[in-house]
Amino acid sequence: MSAPVLVTGVGTLGCWGSGSELLAAALAAGVPLASEVDRSAGYHLANGTRRACLVPAGQLAGWLSPGESRRMSPPSKLAVAASRMALKCAGLDGGEEERTAVVIATAFGPSTNTEILLKQILFEGPESASPSLFMESVANAPAAQIAIALKARGSSLTVCQREAGPLLALGTGAAEIDAGRARRVLAGTVEEMTPLLHALLDRFGALARGGPEGEELARPFGRGRNGFLAGEGATVLVLESAESVADRGGKALARVLAWGNAFDPTAPPSGWGRGHHALARGLRRTLERAGLRPADVDLVVSGASGARDGDRLEAEVLRAAWQGAPLPPVAAPKAVTGEYGGGLLASAVLAVAGSPLGPAAGWQDADPDLGIVLCDGSSLPAPAVVLVTSLAAGGAGAWAVLGRGVG
Amino acid sequence: MQRERPARRVAITGVGAVCGLGWGVEALWQGLRAGRTGIGPFARFDHSQHRTHLAAEAPDGDNPPWDLARLCRGWRRLSIADRFALFAALEAVEQAGLDPTGTMPPEDVGVYFGSSTGGMYESELFFGDFLRDPRRARLSALVAQQVNAPGDAVARQLGVTGPVATFSSACASGALALGAALAAVRSGEVDVAIAGGSDSLCQLTYAGFNALRSVDEAPCRPFRAERAGMSFGEGAAVLVLEPLERALARGAEPLAVLAGAGSSCDAHHMTAPDPTGAGAAAAVEAALADAGLAAGAVDFVNVHGTGTPLNDAAEWQALRRVFGERAGEVPLVATKALIGHLLGCSGAIEAVATVLCLQRGELHPVRREGEADPELPVSLVLDAPLSLPDMRAAVSTSLAFGGSNAALVFSRWAGPAA
Repeated sequence: MSAPVLVTGVGTLGCWGSGSELLAAALAAGVPLASEVDRSAGYHLANGTRRACLVPAGQLAGWLSPGESRRMSPPSKLAVAASRMALKCAGLDGGEEERTAVVIATAFGPSTNTEILLKQILFEGPESASPSLFMESVANAPAAQIAIALKARGSSLTVCQREAGPLLALGTGAAEIDAGRARRVLAGTVEEMTPLLHALLDRFGALARGGPEGEELARPFGRGRNGFLAGEGATVLVLESAESVADRGGKALARVLAWGNAFDPTAPPSGWGRGHHALARGLRRTLERAGLRPADVDLVVSGASGARDGDRLEAEVLRAAWQGAPLPPVAAPKAVTGEYGGGLLASAVLAVAGSPLGPAAGWQDADPDLGIVLCDGSSLPAPAVVLVTSLAAGGAGAWAVLGRGVG
Repeated sequence: MQRERPARRVAITGVGAVCGLGWGVEALWQGLRAGRTGIGPFARFDHSQHRTHLAAEAPDGDNPPWDLARLCRGWRRLSIADRFALFAALEAVEQAGLDPTGTMPPEDVGVYFGSSTGGMYESELFFGDFLRDPRRARLSALVAQQVNAPGDAVARQLGVTGPVATFSSACASGALALGAALAAVRSGEVDVAIAGGSDSLCQLTYAGFNALRSVDEAPCRPFRAERAGMSFGEGAAVLVLEPLERALARGAEPLAVLAGAGSSCDAHHMTAPDPTGAGAAAAVEAALADAGLAAGAVDFVNVHGTGTPLNDAAEWQALRRVFGERAGEVPLVATKALIGHLLGCSGAIEAVATVLCLQRGELHPVRREGEADPELPVSLVLDAPLSLPDMRAAVSTSLAFGGSNAALVFSRWAGPAA
């Protein structure tokens, strides 16, 4: 990028509640705030997993009008609320609508609406399909509702690249500013975790199973990792050009120094591949775009989630990118936030802003084959350069490099 | 500070397509040129209980003319949308004379795709089984369900290790993917971009748009007085993009130049377009500015032209904003009237149609259905191809659910001296 794009606001919701202060507290504690999934529909196996990192009730109060609450799908509501939080955090109240773009990632889209619609169509007959549910079933509904709510008339983009989507959204948003197409971008991600989706992920064997104590924990890079904790929420960042921030006397939380993505063609459609060298090349290219070497990275905020093969691939990619040199400390916030990329995005911004990231579950029993030293919660110097990583099942990988904010 | 954009012109060196007119670009072009519609009865799913009964289904279901099942890894588990995507990508790459993994570093190749529903058709089959009896449902049917699956399948098949990104902004997805690919080639992020889209017919969208009363019971009639909605289509389209200089250096013959891309949002309503056309016009103006062209340089527009009363009226307003008094004179091509609305792929396949028109020097027609709408005095190409051998530039528009608008500008390739 020719000039760093600045992050000036964060709006975030997840299992920790709403707002980055609560997320920071949860990360510092290092404890996942998982809750029971509604299994009453009978989608789950009897011995299936029971917990997920779900957004507690009542988090949207004050962020949406009654009309918006009525007509929007769950992810649209989360996304619009997170956008308003982000703008408030940035000290913005409108303006620049013609040159404000929206870039939102989602892996599964509005799952509740899709599920209800399919039940209507398949079991009650297609003429039973609700038009209002349909219009809020498309993947780009959250991005569109943000644009409508905020009158943002720049580009409206929805990115679907599974776990890599959130960093792609961040990068795509930064590119909108870098190319001069936008002065402000609301970039982020939204996901909802329905009982059906949870049950299907569990049937695929993707979710963390209970250990001897029956506790379902994601253990990123841990010896005992056996899956991830499903998560949901929305995170939206306000991205601005340096010029825009200077014009209004704003303050940056972080700078986007570079971003990049790559693909591992050895990965099966829903699994992990063996192509760590290709992905490591993509990671190194990303750092080179920022004029950095691996040794310049102070902290890796990893998208590792506790997935057995996914974490192995992530470790191989990092080691290959560092080419034998010692790795910096690695934080794995998905142990706390669940597998939801918004938690990763918000955690990375918090980290570069100096917020401590605590220990991840399983850090005391790291997998010795992976060669990763996880943050143990001890105090670290505030990082100047943070590498954010996110590999996706199916082959995609994305990275972002964040630097300290200025202004 | 904006990026200093390298003066890298971007050539289109290969195209591939499958749609209701057949498998392959020649089937598409011959059908378009003849004004033959692919919209008719279809058999993908039982639509007897649906409100309407027409679609442009790919011939022979999901059986392409090549032995793709042998060529492509994991064919049996791929969704129909994935299979469409693979066919179109392999056709495009073959025409471009490229072997992405054999002739260049795979990290210098990127895949940029658009899709609205990915493997939704297969998900519906799974979901029906699962709700009736979870023990009967085959989880493997869900493996290629996700929206990013078609683009990923292409990258996997071609051995691509560069960037792969899927956009799902409803009917603008394919055009937005092409815009992202253009930016990636221009900036030097990749040397070759495989860009396009894929979507298959499924009950969710068929019933959903019918619930909105946006589907015509007859084949769609864009801009005509009696238009009553869209018609569905399915398929895939892929374009190979590379720097013009690079293409020429390796002896490739550019089909056209992708000169600019622009996008915007109406920020107006989830399904209804802004009736003033301001958002759509902003996307076209941004694309023209990106291409360095004035509106007066545009020889024709491949319109979004769904045939819904509101879309076509808003699009006419957008054309008036961009072209002023000339709006009624600019020839319009309405590809959806022949191949239906391919949703997330529509921008990509209409890009292919636009390239073919530019390359072959004539605009494809649509059949004259009913009367012209006196409120929309457009110059739609009707009944017979319009020969325009000297045309130089064209615009293609994609206007989506949620107000997402995208426009692409193409230039005719008239040789290195032009």
